[in-house]
Amino acid sequence: MPEAVDMINLGFLSDSERELILEVLQRDEELRQAEEQRVRKLKTELLDVRRKGAKRGSGRYSQRVCGRCLEPISRLSVFNSQCKLCNHNVCCNCRTVLPNGSWLCNVCTKEADLKKRTGDWFYDQKVNRFSSTPGHDIVRVSLKKNPLVKKRETTGEILLRSTEMKPNPPSPRPNPVPQPRQKKQMVNKSENSVSIASRESFESKDDVWSKPARSDTESAENASITSSKAETESGRGTPEQQRGDHSARSSPAGSSVSSLTVPVKADIISTEGTNTPAEVKLARPSPELDVDRLFKKSIRRAPKPQGYVSTLDLRDECDTAKTSMGKRSHSVPGLDIQEGEEEEEDIDSLVSFHKRTMASSPSSLGSSRNTLGSLMSIYSEAGDFDSVEVSGDVVFSVHYDENTKSLQVFIKECHELAYGDTSRRLSNPYVKCYLLPDKSRQSKRKTSIKRNTVNPIYNETLKYSINRSKLIMRSLLISVWHHGRLSRNAFLGEVEIALDCRDLGSPQEDCVVLMSKAASVVPTSAFAQYKGELVISLKYITPKKSTAVKIKGNKAASEESGELHVLIKEAKNLIAMKPGGTSDSFVKGYLFPTQSKTTKRKTSVVKKNLNPHYNHTFVYKEVTLEQLQRMCLELTVWDKEAMMSNEFLGGVCLSAGQGTVKIGKEEVELNSVGEEVSLWQKMMQYPDSWAEGTLPLRSTMGKEKGK
Amino acid sequence: MTDGDYDYLIKLLALGDSGVGKTTFLYRYTDNKFNPKFITTVGIDFREKRVVYTASNPNGTTTGKTFKVHLQLWDTAGQERFRSLTTAFFRDAMGFLLMFDLTSQQSFLNVRNWMSQLQANAYCENPDIVLVGNKADLSDQREVQEKQAKELADKYGIPYFETSAATGAEVDKTVITLLDLVMKRMEQCVDKPPAESANGNGATKLGDAQPVEKKCAC
Repeated sequence: MPEAVDMINLGFLSDSERELILEVLQRDEELRQAEEQRVRKLKTELLDVRRKGAKRGSGRYSQRVCGRCLEPISRLSVFNSQCKLCNHNVCCNCRTVLPNGSWLCNVCTKEADLKKRTGDWFYDQKVNRFSSTPGHDIVRVSLKKNPLVKKRETTGEILLRSTEMKPNPPSPRPNPVPQPRQKKQMVNKSENSVSIASRESFESKDDVWSKPARSDTESAENASITSSKAETESGRGTPEQQRGDHSARSSPAGSSVSSLTVPVKADIISTEGTNTPAEVKLARPSPELDVDRLFKKSIRRAPKPQGYVSTLDLRDECDTAKTSMGKRSHSVPGLDIQEGEEEEEDIDSLVSFHKRTMASSPSSLGSSRNTLGSLMSIYSEAGDFDSVEVSGDVVFSVHYDENTKSLQVFIKECHELAYGDTSRRLSNPYVKCYLLPDKSRQSKRKTSIKRNTVNPIYNETLKYSINRSKLIMRSLLISVWHHGRLSRNAFLGEVEIALDCRDLGSPQEDCVVLMSKAASVVPTSAFAQYKGELVISLKYITPKKSTAVKIKGNKAASEESGELHVLIKEAKNLIAMKPGGTSDSFVKGYLFPTQSKTTKRKTSVVKKNLNPHYNHTFVYKEVTLEQLQRMCLELTVWDKEAMMSNEFLGGVCLSAGQGTVKIGKEEVELNSVGEEVSLWQKMMQYPDSWAEGTLPLRSTMGKEKGK
Repeated sequence: MTDGDYDYLIKLLALGDSGVGKTTFLYRYTDNKFNPKFITTVGIDFREKRVVYTASNPNGTTTGKTFKVHLQLWDTAGQERFRSLTTAFFRDAMGFLLMFDLTSQQSFLNVRNWMSQLQANAYCENPDIVLVGNKADLSDQREVQEKQAKELADKYGIPYFETSAATGAEVDKTVITLLDLVMKRMEQCVDKPPAESANGNGATKLGDAQPVEKKCAC
């Protein structure tokens, strides 16, 4: 039975066999990444369909109105107008008739279709089979509701990853005990949030299909595969130069014991760990195995590291790093599932992870550095990447294609790049583009990664569908990055091309020397990047002394505890995250230290507005002025994504500015500055009156670990 | 972006005793070539092929809708020593080509074992399987009679094909049949209306409704 097989020991394989298998896994990885990208695209499409229609679940419209297009429904059809999946009343135009004669509303149809196209139908089934513990009904029930986040994970993926985890330092760090706050959040998964989350581990990885060069007997067969692929993908070459390395590398094949231990059941184990995630021990390669050797020798085409992926796959990333992150990202299904708490959980994990990673030292486990890397790209302004001496140049051309109404950036090649990994003297460079000022994921384009070369040849075209008139004022930021498999990505240089003074009529090749990031670009603080502002008002309401206070001896408890009111008025100049240059934002607040989830507050989402008015008050009861002196109010602004992780837009951290505060189990240095401090103090100084302020949003909520 | 220029990624997996011709079968299918040399598969491998799938209604008529399907065809080592590895890949496949060698009674007898391996390790207990008797071209060495194999397939309720990787006979048809089964299951899984179907006049099969599947469409 699958439950019995906790791990596969591949120690019986010979070196060459292991190598062959790794190659296969690499190819699989490439296919999987192409698939993930495709799936992600599909889900974005669904979002568009949904956005057009009524808000799902809000039900606050008349029975006579179509829940999708909001047109009136004729009286006759009102009888039979409820979509049997979402229960919205839907007009005839918003229905799709199924082959069997029944119908569903457009959105449900699209969802069902997506379920097929993305393969979720399969993964959902699989997860159910492999995650449930027989006899453990509660867990099982919850698992049904919470298809695992990692449901799309395949054996190949696990196997591959297990060989990648570089035990460095060799002894696996003990899983930290999860903090109460996080634990709570995880527990509070609702069906809804999980299904959203679970669908979302799609990495935006671009290079696919390029095949590793294989050797001897099979090369003939592979050649045919390659050629068949060429029909669809002609430009992407095989990393030929790697082939030569192979023979050289395979020489140090020693005879050391390298057993490849494969944690096939890793994710399953964890879910069974009910309420003690700390117990969850991930099966990971045993420290003594020399994975690194295996790795160097056999992997010519490294898999896509998690480094530069966007927000979406955060969860996945976290999972990848689970050994060091202690599985916090994992849910503990089976505990009290609270229905109704929607769409929360990814945000929470995002924030907490973000904090955690900022706080954790980059010299920890390799896997945790992966996490760092991935976070880095989300908050790509955070400056969290390795920096090397920039050298070399990039050859590219830019032109506007009137037919397709798109800006075409042809990345030809780079010359004499710096080594991203200075110690090993290698670079796995890829080129990333942003059409500034938009630095969101919509604007991000990447080439494939070229392995182990400082003279990569891409010949890839990155396209932006955009009206020509909109190109004025825009500029193109072309940056080159080293893709660190086990470490962080490294910045190899960039060039910024203003588009308004450029002839875009014909593709003209340019060779431009790469520059290091301008000093001003590398943010020295969380405020270096302008993220907009948040306008809030604070008021501390002193306890009403009149009410039965001094009667009994327990005055100390009740007398002093008043309320903190936080009025979230509006935000200004938020960053646009969505096509059309808008964001659907909301604000979330936490008061730290906190024992429980109870201090979490949220505003409603204001759609399509970069200057949203929330006018929402968070009320924190039973706090004393004395407590507030040592507390910290964290407000974060998020762009709401229905099916993906919400995107962080910025935040503020209000406190007295000194000392430490306990967030979860960690003492964190209060790092409020300027207005953040003065507003907080004003609030405490003048109770019962509003202290209003406009606070600049931080681009990162990173906190220093307290001493 | 042509990378993901397909509608479905379907993962199939070939299994069976060592030497029954899984690799050559897949090679024939993907490349339409035959390699008579026996090169034992190390652990696992896969091949890919794009096909166009024409959807058909439950009643058999085609809807005319066509989809681009990207097939990932996993090839597994038949050798016992790789068993722990290969079975671990069973759970990631959506359909299975269970192969035996028509010229080897033993490989046929082992089908039963493979079946139970599948039931234990696949994504569900009754995955889509096609039984394949390979090497049909070697009729003079034949040890397994069609009737025998057909009976076994019927017992499991799965289709049976006699193929030849050498000539290519029935190879395509076998894979397409399996693909069709997988696609049908997918439809069934996703389109199955929820139990409390309000407007539903769609006939649903409630018989084997696993709780799992009910969740599918939401």
